[in-house]
Amino acid sequence: MAFFRHKRNLYPLIAIASALLIMVFGLVMARTVACSYFLLGALAWVILFGCYKQALKALPLFILFGGVFTLIAYFSSEKNFDSALAMTNRFGAVFLAVMPGMSIQAVAMTRNLSQLHTPRGITLGMLITMSFIPVLRAEIKRVREAMKTRGAGSIFNPKIFYRAFLIPLVTRLVDISDTLALSIETRGFTLGKSKYTVYKKEVINVFDILYLLGLIAGVAFAVVL
Amino acid sequence: MTPREKAILELVRFSEEEQRIAVEAERHGESGKAKRKIFQKYMIKDIVFLAIITCCTLITGAVMPLLVNVPLFGIIQLGLGIQFSLFPVIGMMKVKKPFALLLQSMFISIFLMFMFPPMVLLIACALVAELLTLLIFRGYHSDWACVFAGTLYMPLTLPLLYMYYNVFYTVSGEEKAAVSMFIGGGNVGLTVGISFAVIAVCFVGSVIGMVIARELKKAGKLK
Repeated sequence: MAFFRHKRNLYPLIAIASALLIMVFGLVMARTVACSYFLLGALAWVILFGCYKQALKALPLFILFGGVFTLIAYFSSEKNFDSALAMTNRFGAVFLAVMPGMSIQAVAMTRNLSQLHTPRGITLGMLITMSFIPVLRAEIKRVREAMKTRGAGSIFNPKIFYRAFLIPLVTRLVDISDTLALSIETRGFTLGKSKYTVYKKEVINVFDILYLLGLIAGVAFAVVL
Repeated sequence: MTPREKAILELVRFSEEEQRIAVEAERHGESGKAKRKIFQKYMIKDIVFLAIITCCTLITGAVMPLLVNVPLFGIIQLGLGIQFSLFPVIGMMKVKKPFALLLQSMFISIFLMFMFPPMVLLIACALVAELLTLLIFRGYHSDWACVFAGTLYMPLTLPLLYMYYNVFYTVSGEEKAAVSMFIGGGNVGLTVGISFAVIAVCFVGSVIGMVIARELKKAGKLK
């Protein structure tokens, strides 16, 4: 029974819904201490449901950026603790909302949207946007290495940045886009209304429902508190 | 003359004739039905390019979660204006079809949901910018139509900030300090000044995008 079987990743749309819930609630209730408790509870809940890797990635960034902005808020508001708390909670909400989002695999999201009969152009675009980030990062690195090899100068010089970085990067992206489009067409992908099947269907599991219900209960508890 | 040479000569003559007709049609602005049509069908290569260029916008706009927490009117638009006009304009210059901007905003919306949910309304801003462009320029044949849409895209999100500061920032505070901050602490000059600065930044970004796209076109990369 797929509904009761344990799985590693959250159902994509539930992950998005939970991210929205955390973000909106965190921003709305940022000034309260209850919000801090909610965020701590939500962090534990998110980790419990398999987002521990994402938590490990996001927490150092939260400590760094959240810490800096909290200090700024504290000193700019004449050492007001409430302002500092509000800023910490806002950053906490943003970084915590990112965790379930990071757990979504591009292909799972696409399958999920395809199951819901989202237009193929949109699912294809989202899939490419989501999965292209590492390729783009590698291309940026390559262009920068080429700049160094040629001795093009500092990237902070606008002229050099434009001529030696931006133009080669965009040119490369155009080339990649042409190749990728050709490759997709060769594999028989069409944008028309032709019938298609989803190779592996994403199903809502009991754990997904439990995860979302837990967060909603946390929100309700924090409001009552 | 051998039959083979005759055939080659015929082929060359035929291709020259084809080329002449194409040039003639281009000169009269009648290169087929596609050029006269405002709404054109999207191809896979269009979607792929728009998605890739959206990825550039997304990566360069990754500072958004930090900017949203700075309580200064227009800070998000000022910080992201260049990226959110330069790359969409390149996208529109390659895919000169209506709703290219709308598609780009749809592709990026899922990420904006995690960064800053009110910015998902960027889709509505893209739609408004596209409709205005179609109304004024009747399509994207002119490069300046792309610049116009790219310039409007981000500044249209400025009113969204009101919602953010009013609903999220001050719902737990009685003093409504953030709303006051949004309207520049009662200083209308500041609000108007920053709004114009955002438009100027977006215009500069759009023009840079157009220049890059023109250069690529000249090099034969953007067809």
